[in-house]
Amino acid sequence: MSFCCTQLVLLGDSGVGKSCIVLRFVRGQFDPTSKVTVGASFLSQTIALQDSTTVKFEIWDTAGQERYAALAPLYYRGAGVAVIVYDITSPESFTKAQYWVKELQKHGSPGIVMALVGNKADLQEKREVPVQDGIDYAEKNGMFFIETSAKTADNINQLFEVFLR
Amino acid sequence: MHGAQSKRDLAMELQAQLPILRPSIHTRRANLTVKFQDLYGFTVEGNVDDVNVLNEVREKVRQQGRVWWALEASKGANWYLQPQVSSLSEGIVLKSSLKFSALANAMTLKKLIRKGIPPVLRPKVWFSLSGAAKKKSTVPESYYNDLTKAVEGKVTPATRQIDHDLPRTFPGHPWLDTPQGHAALRRVLVGYSFRDSDVGYCQGLNYVAALLLLVMKTEEDAFWMLAVLLENVLVNDCYTNNLSGCHVEQRVFKDLLSKKCPRIAAHLEALEFDVSLVATEWFLCLFAKSLPSETTLRVWDVLFYEGAKVLFHAALAIFKMKEEDLLLAHQVGDVINIIQRTTHHLFDPDELLTVAFNKIGFMTTNTISKQRKKQEPEVMKELDERLRRLNSLREDDR
Repeated sequence: MSFCCTQLVLLGDSGVGKSCIVLRFVRGQFDPTSKVTVGASFLSQTIALQDSTTVKFEIWDTAGQERYAALAPLYYRGAGVAVIVYDITSPESFTKAQYWVKELQKHGSPGIVMALVGNKADLQEKREVPVQDGIDYAEKNGMFFIETSAKTADNINQLFEVFLR
Repeated sequence: MHGAQSKRDLAMELQAQLPILRPSIHTRRANLTVKFQDLYGFTVEGNVDDVNVLNEVREKVRQQGRVWWALEASKGANWYLQPQVSSLSEGIVLKSSLKFSALANAMTLKKLIRKGIPPVLRPKVWFSLSGAAKKKSTVPESYYNDLTKAVEGKVTPATRQIDHDLPRTFPGHPWLDTPQGHAALRRVLVGYSFRDSDVGYCQGLNYVAALLLLVMKTEEDAFWMLAVLLENVLVNDCYTNNLSGCHVEQRVFKDLLSKKCPRIAAHLEALEFDVSLVATEWFLCLFAKSLPSETTLRVWDVLFYEGAKVLFHAALAIFKMKEEDLLLAHQVGDVINIIQRTTHHLFDPDELLTVAFNKIGFMTTNTISKQRKKQEPEVMKELDERLRRLNSLREDDR
């Protein structure tokens, strides 16, 4: 039996659903009234794979308000995986996500794996960021891309499974 | 607002739950998790031991109330509201016997406050000793009403963020998470965002203002408490747009930890664990999001009388209490789990405050101010560099 540990950080604009994604993954629940994150909150989740490997995710879920951005290096410094989240109903959050990608490319740990996540995919009728924009941007930057819904649990496990490979 | 009646009901409910738990106490007490509401209406999850601790705390609160009433009987009503007593305790030379009695009172009061202000007296004592009453008295009586009326219907980035955060502040709380609770919290936060546009609104203030509302009972008093906190009690620029004050406090805290708890500091450094990972939230929410409500309010009792150094005492104490466990931890995740488990289960405020004031050693506001001054240039340099880096990222875009 082997054991490995993945340090993961979530970044993105306020209210895009970072905490909801983490809670869905760790507790299997959608909490429509999760609490405002201040600084960052820490959660961990251990997953047993079929080949009897155990993977432990240590997750830093960071605060989204702009003024907290200067604290982000504290949380992404040691991370092997960065999940950058935007809300498909908010073009501003997509722009913000692109800044995070650039910051991590310049200042994240070398070899950091990045994923771009368009959350709130259940709100199709309010969509303002086309899927293709996400796909294109991610491809250009060598990132994994997925659209998720923390509300319906769509693609949440798939998102984290990517980092097991 | 929910009153004494509902509190009594909650207490009764809790009493009623206990007999049901008794039969299995010996075998399963550690595993049994019960949900109940604490003195301030927050839902708490804990085991039977936690329930017992909370009952003991209730009894201690009652006893402490009796001490306050007895002193009031001997020293006169409102003896504790003498202005400026706090500065006397910092060592001013006194000549007259009148001043001597004021100093004696100040020392009595300091000890008394560290043991806790009875919840019913909190609004009055906090309002006076923090300086909020004085602040309010310098502006026209109608200031708060005028302010809230003047800003009604205005939309700014701050108001948008506040609206987004209201339902996410203390979700599920029987008063805060109701339309009335949201509206009151909104008026306080929006009002303050216009009073100080450098601060506007910073996430974290929502928790602080919400607890102030619960304690102070009136919105206007909660507003003035928030104002005195940000403008006089806490370090400057704690919540302004780059949180520079908060960065300064974190650096001071790291230095203090190396001085006061050198073994822990060295061990955590070896693990590459930065204490800001957990302490940032403590300093920005003043523990409101981490500690049980009565424990948080006991920290605030002292905070409003002795100043912002109290936050360092409490933060150091949390590490100090778990020294042995922390020294055995070999992974960052374990350190965080120890700290989080500790803070969430600190139902007995005295457990924390005894360590905070008896085992950390003496710290004066003066020495902490000096350390802040020392750290400021470094923090400003770091923040400037970051800003320059971000701007260069933006330029790449064009």
